[in-house]
Amino acid sequence: MAETARMTTLVEQAIALVGDRNDLRRRLENTLNRLGDPSVRVIVVGEFKQGKSQLINALVNAPVCPVDDDIATTVPTVVRQGDPASAVVLVPTHEGSRADASPEGEAAGPDSGLERQAVSLNDLADYVSEKGNPGNAKNIVAAEVSLPRKLLAGGLTIVDSPGVGGLGSTHTLTTLTALPSAHAMVFVSDASQEYTEPEMRFLGQAMRVSPNVACVLSKTDLYPTWRQIADLDKGHLSGVAPDIPLFPVSSELRLQAARLQDTELNEESGFPALIAHLRNHIVGGAARIQRRSVGHDVLSVTEHLGLALHSELGALENPEGTPRMIAGLKAAKEDADALRKRFARWQITLNDGIGDLIADMEYDLKDRLRRIQREAETAIDHGDPGPAWDQFTQWLEQSTAAAVSETFVWTSERAQWLAGQVAEHFSEEEVALPALKVADTGGVLDPVADLQAMEDGRLGPLQKVLIGMRGSYGGVLMFGLLTGIFGMALINPLSVGAGLLLGRKAYREEQEARLKRRQAEAKVLVRKQVDDVVFQVGKQLKDRLRLVQRATRDHFTEIAEEHHRSLTESVAAAQKAAATYAVERDLRIKEIRNQLKAVEALGKAAQQLQEDVPTQLISPTTASAVPTG
Amino acid sequence: MIDTGIAGAAELLRQAREVFHGDVAALAVVDDLDNRLAGPLRVAVAGMVKAGKSTLLNAIIGEEIAPTDAGECTRIVTWYRYGHTPRITLYPFVGGPTSLPVTREDGRLVFSLGEFQAENVDRLVVDWPSAGLRNLTLIDTPGIASLSQDVSGRATAFLLPEDAPMAADAVIYLMRHLHASDVRFLESFKDTAAGQSGSVNALAVLSRADEIGAGRIDSLISAAVIAERYSQDQNLRPLALGVVPVAGLLAQSSRTMRQADFDAMNMLAQMDRNQRERMMLSADRFVRTAGPAGLDQATKESLVNRFGLFGIRLGVALIRGGTSNPTELAHEFARRSGLGVLLDTISRLFQTRADALKARAAVVGLESLLRESSKERVEPLKGALERLQSSAHEFRELKLLAALRTGGVGLAGEQEAEAERLVGGRGSTPALRLGLDPEAGPDQISQAARSCLNRWRLIAENPLTEPAALDACRIVLRSCEGMLAAIPAVR
Repeated sequence: MAETARMTTLVEQAIALVGDRNDLRRRLENTLNRLGDPSVRVIVVGEFKQGKSQLINALVNAPVCPVDDDIATTVPTVVRQGDPASAVVLVPTHEGSRADASPEGEAAGPDSGLERQAVSLNDLADYVSEKGNPGNAKNIVAAEVSLPRKLLAGGLTIVDSPGVGGLGSTHTLTTLTALPSAHAMVFVSDASQEYTEPEMRFLGQAMRVSPNVACVLSKTDLYPTWRQIADLDKGHLSGVAPDIPLFPVSSELRLQAARLQDTELNEESGFPALIAHLRNHIVGGAARIQRRSVGHDVLSVTEHLGLALHSELGALENPEGTPRMIAGLKAAKEDADALRKRFARWQITLNDGIGDLIADMEYDLKDRLRRIQREAETAIDHGDPGPAWDQFTQWLEQSTAAAVSETFVWTSERAQWLAGQVAEHFSEEEVALPALKVADTGGVLDPVADLQAMEDGRLGPLQKVLIGMRGSYGGVLMFGLLTGIFGMALINPLSVGAGLLLGRKAYREEQEARLKRRQAEAKVLVRKQVDDVVFQVGKQLKDRLRLVQRATRDHFTEIAEEHHRSLTESVAAAQKAAATYAVERDLRIKEIRNQLKAVEALGKAAQQLQEDVPTQLISPTTASAVPTG
Repeated sequence: MIDTGIAGAAELLRQAREVFHGDVAALAVVDDLDNRLAGPLRVAVAGMVKAGKSTLLNAIIGEEIAPTDAGECTRIVTWYRYGHTPRITLYPFVGGPTSLPVTREDGRLVFSLGEFQAENVDRLVVDWPSAGLRNLTLIDTPGIASLSQDVSGRATAFLLPEDAPMAADAVIYLMRHLHASDVRFLESFKDTAAGQSGSVNALAVLSRADEIGAGRIDSLISAAVIAERYSQDQNLRPLALGVVPVAGLLAQSSRTMRQADFDAMNMLAQMDRNQRERMMLSADRFVRTAGPAGLDQATKESLVNRFGLFGIRLGVALIRGGTSNPTELAHEFARRSGLGVLLDTISRLFQTRADALKARAAVVGLESLLRESSKERVEPLKGALERLQSSAHEFRELKLLAALRTGGVGLAGEQEAEAERLVGGRGSTPALRLGLDPEAGPDQISQAARSCLNRWRLIAENPLTEPAALDACRIVLRSCEGMLAAIPAVR
């Protein structure tokens, strides 16, 4: 895109200007890297059977996501630009699955440990749908489809997610964990009814992770009363957050329109408005933010450069004011120095904050898991855990996963807040916040071993007989001997009767003892599992928070360093200027003027870049949804 | 034998009346239970918001009286019972019942609560002279998982009371797809209802079946497949007796079809196929596009509101296929909507054992009454109650049925399935229990019952049969004997 090329040249110009300032160069190189990856991920979420897959099919006008009357999508499908049209599925490689468990700073290599298998576009349904791949038996992590489409050319990537709210509430988790990496989400609900309570709950939860949301009211072709539903939904949405747009669409009409090449029908389907929103607000918004941050980076670099040049120029042109200027600069340098020191106030805030956060996080995690454990124990006490163990395991896994993701979201929010607190120590009016990725729970539970299997407590006939015999043996002998006194045989009706009675009793007691044992065993297993989760997840969370701490520290130290270095150079330049001879002075002034002109021109260009942004379109929600790292 | 339960319960209530002589509050409860015993079976219609509860209710009654709307509509628990003259009575939480004026708009009732707020109203009772209500009292409940907490709360309070027995004998649970909220509700329903009455008495309905395939003409076939899958679902099986797909809108409009509707559809059927299909791409287009001549916008709008796009498509297809009069068309709609199957299932599962269910409700009600009363006064009554509970065979059948559905009793798989059928899990008439043709004669029944009896005797006599299974065998045997005893002597 011309836009990107323009920004790239700007940044390259700035790099040419920075000279020997390595710190500034590094910053600009980061900016350049960011410019290299234009993809904007939009994830389509919603309850099952709301028409999410059909929405995507209609958007790109190709049957890339399988659609069925029964629950269809089980695996997230990524649709992006690519020519020719092709599809791949991602499956975990067997040897590589453990390797990436160690926490890395950036989730930069999401494909590590995954194998890409090319599949035919027509066979894709066999991999991602419930019918072709029941319960995801093929163990596919995701599918990727590349299509040559104008809509996708701007870097737009659309992700189809499995519906939430069904019985496999693990889908909710998969969706939530995918959200942090998305720039925006599209929340789909059909026009048959207004939003339900679970839907709004999910929306609220998801918006904590990804606040840039557009809502879609699907299947408007089917329901004559969709306008009424749309109004009701708008009412509900305004209660969640202002300015959430709602787009009533009909995928059916759009597909028909494409087939018949009918623009009027396309207009009626409601898709043009949705596409315009995707283009202008989501892709455009991301581009605007990109532009703003590039502008900000370049501008701050020019300011740093300008400071040294200005002070030198001032000293050269106005030698008698030099001492005062140097004194002023030194004072500023001292301030910057203070920020740089290890015991600077912001460092203390950061360290204390992280300490608190780790403690709180551990408490939160333990508290949530303990509650689950208590619930599990009550359930075990109420019945025989043996036969229902499979179901029980499933329940336990789901509820621990849910608890862990809650903790992660919460921790991520707190970490962001902490970064903001630290930033307040910096007097500069706008300090960029570091990009933190904590909320991503993908793979967190991998090191936790599966819950062990348990015998279901059914006794085979042989076992039953043996238990019965063991019990009855004593009875037969006892009563046989006793009745032997009266001259009866050892095996007589009385002794056999007593044997039967005792055998039965022994059998019943054995049953009870076994039940008790099973219950105790189940409880131990649950406790072990919960301990394991606390241990592993706690460790991971702690690691991540340490990484957050390090990232935040490095980020702000760098800023402090830049300040400090600029000021030091300014002082040095001014001092040097004071000692320069008159002839050289004139030459130097000219030189500096030229350099300043270049720097100022760059600064102006950067400012222009920033001001291009129509300010009313940048709402706070769009600003925070874009990862900067 | 069939009567022991209900007669026993009536006798108990008579005794209770003597014991509580002079205690007005207790006598009121006893009166209530008496009414319940004498009245028709009470079936509640429950489900998530907008699952189509009121629409289905209208379809069962056969008249569009329960109000329905695009938004959430039912906010108060409403009873529909048989009465000679239409009457609406409002029961507030505080104070005596009040009569409301009976007003209808487009046939639907309008509940004007007057000075009452919805949150202060316990329930509305509608008396309606409809044949469908003669042996069935229907209870419409507000939706579960509604965004307005108090509405959901009202439904939950009615269906899952914490301290009293449930006011309905059975529940028809509507769901569009099996949502986690549905399972949660059914689980807690089983916990309270089964805990108190020892039975699974919910029937799940896959509602709005016509919308499952986005209104395609084969939607109902898909719906049947999905319903079948759900009925095998591990999570749903212990909670509901079966899953029936129903297209509520279709069912409702089939009961209320008029000649004008038929004419309109006929006109549509005469249109050019391409033109018609283009027009019917969306509901909006259908109403907006002009034509065919003679069909104005208002008519089309009411048509699409009442039948839905699917209904119109189906109607047109049927007319083109040769259906030539409204009665025939209505009949075909009713058959395809699944309403017939639903009514059959209700009568099979609930009506045939209505007496047992009602007696059970009376006994549970009495039990909770006794729990609150002074001990020495009710001691004799308690004994009688316990005797009835343990001796009445119907109760034991219900209990076994619940046990079989919820976790099994330790028999082999096919034996459990047979036991379930024999104690009336698919319906309470002998033919259904024995898995015979409904028209089977007494000879066939007695022969089948005898062979079952022998087979189950063998199972019961097997020394390796577990105690729990043995109890189950005894109940099954008793059921077989009961069937044999009920056959009039043909020899």
